Amino acid sequence: MSRIMAVAGRELKSLFYSPVAYIVLTLYLLFVGLLFSMLVFIPGELANPQPMFEWNHLILIFIVPFITMSLLAEEYRSGRIEVLRTSPVAELEIILGKFLGAMGFYCVVIASSVVFVLTLMAFGRPDFHPIFTSYLGLLLMGCLMVAIGVFFSALSEHQILAAMSTCVTLVALGILVGFVRQLVPTSWFAATQIRHVLGYMAIEPHMANFARGVVDTQNIVYFLTGTGLFLFLTYVVLESRRWR
Amino acid sequence: MQNAAEIVVQRLTKDYGRFRAVDDLSFEVAKGSVVGFLGPNGAGKTTTIRMLTCYMPPSSGRASVAGFDVFGQSLQVRQNIGYLPENTPLYPEMRVEEYLDYRGKLRGMNRVARRQRIAEVAQRCWLTERLRWLVGKLSKGYRQRLGIADALLHNPPVLVLDEPTVGLDPSQIREARKLIAELAGRHTVLLSTHILSEVELVCQRVIIIGRGNILAQGTPDELKQQCARAGAPGSRLLVEVRGPSDQVLSAIKALPGVENVQVLADGPVQSLAVVGRLDAQLREQIAALVVQRGWALREMRLGGASLEEFFVQITDPGTSQAAA
Repeated sequence: MSRIMAVAGRELKSLFYSPVAYIVLTLYLLFVGLLFSMLVFIPGELANPQPMFEWNHLILIFIVPFITMSLLAEEYRSGRIEVLRTSPVAELEIILGKFLGAMGFYCVVIASSVVFVLTLMAFGRPDFHPIFTSYLGLLLMGCLMVAIGVFFSALSEHQILAAMSTCVTLVALGILVGFVRQLVPTSWFAATQIRHVLGYMAIEPHMANFARGVVDTQNIVYFLTGTGLFLFLTYVVLESRRWR
Repeated sequence: MQNAAEIVVQRLTKDYGRFRAVDDLSFEVAKGSVVGFLGPNGAGKTTTIRMLTCYMPPSSGRASVAGFDVFGQSLQVRQNIGYLPENTPLYPEMRVEEYLDYRGKLRGMNRVARRQRIAEVAQRCWLTERLRWLVGKLSKGYRQRLGIADALLHNPPVLVLDEPTVGLDPSQIREARKLIAELAGRHTVLLSTHILSEVELVCQRVIIIGRGNILAQGTPDELKQQCARAGAPGSRLLVEVRGPSDQVLSAIKALPGVENVQVLADGPVQSLAVVGRLDAQLREQIAALVVQRGWALREMRLGGASLEEFFVQITDPGTSQAAA
């Protein structure tokens, strides 16, 4: 456990040493600020931050790849992976450490949006329960996104390639699947089932529930199993790279 | 000296696709000794070391370090080994102290042990004034020292150093060798290098590999003797003569007992390596010849068999194939 925390702590620090962290934070605040000022912060309306959280994944899709791109890809490129893997640290500890380090930074990113909640509180009385569940949802969604990022980072030696493949996957899960679902013709065999499966794969409806204040086990299971799947795949990739 | 073996390698083989990098390699390293692991580039040194340090599994065969199997007890092996990889990859954004602290944590050292050991290894590797520096700002020599400090940090019984003196300046090389020599006795050191003088200075035993196989092993002196036996029967005579080049060469070649003359440097002053029978009293003959012809003898000395010649001789594919 202490080794996982050592890896995670180093990763978190190193994210803050790089300029990427500050660019990412700025972009996030800019986007969420736009959502806030256009959809939430309207005089005379209810103090309801739901739209701000519901559309959060649209920016996170483009932010998470930058947080995760260097995690393992850079270790392979620089050769530090040799130092890491000849230390008495198990593969799983490396993966969990990297994952938690990136999650630490992700938490800082989403926590920065608290300023908008505070602004809302200064002018109205928002309902706290949906805000709480929204952050829970963002946290769980982040687990899945970061796990996908860790996986692609393990696949490549090039950060940019890792970032791009993560981004494509997240766009596919976060945006495209939802559209494709609408396009499935009803004349197809088992069209409703296909639509159902595609609907379950998409990130957006799962996050929407949390943003509305609904904590459904189906959504929790979706995020957690997705996270587990991608971390397991990372383990498989790391293990197989040893034999090459 | 022949204590229990700390590193045991038995019929180790590694294939990269169709290319066999290490072929049926077996050797042992005694506890507390410094062993030079020598070979030309691409001989399989780094591959062997990577298998010993559990970075990659062997294709077949087995190896154990400090009594633990590299395949089955990988974590214990890694806990007992200090490894300096070939080009010391580090985190440039961390401070020296911070990096060592992180490495200590990875090895499960507690806070007190970490603080104490960091101070110790920093002193031993002449890093004390650089502890607050960013790793990325360090010169090549200091980065190398940091790599060695890292390998020593958890006081492991076995040290594996892959070309530790590459990129250091001459005085740093000397310091590094002194450090490695000091480590003998307390640690078992496997030192990979292709610098021969280094081996002669610090290693008690030498293992020479080429094309994935052991070509020779023994103490440096044994290898030199082996070289003298395997090479020309007499030792080499290095002669520097001022005179007309073609005449000098042919006259010396014509002397009785001379087997071979090699021109090391041509010009008004010639440098020649003469190989001949020991009993032929070559030195007297050459001196007499030079005086008789009116040339000038500038230098004449016996060049003993060097490890370098031996190395070139046995690692050169042409000669070893002819021998086999």
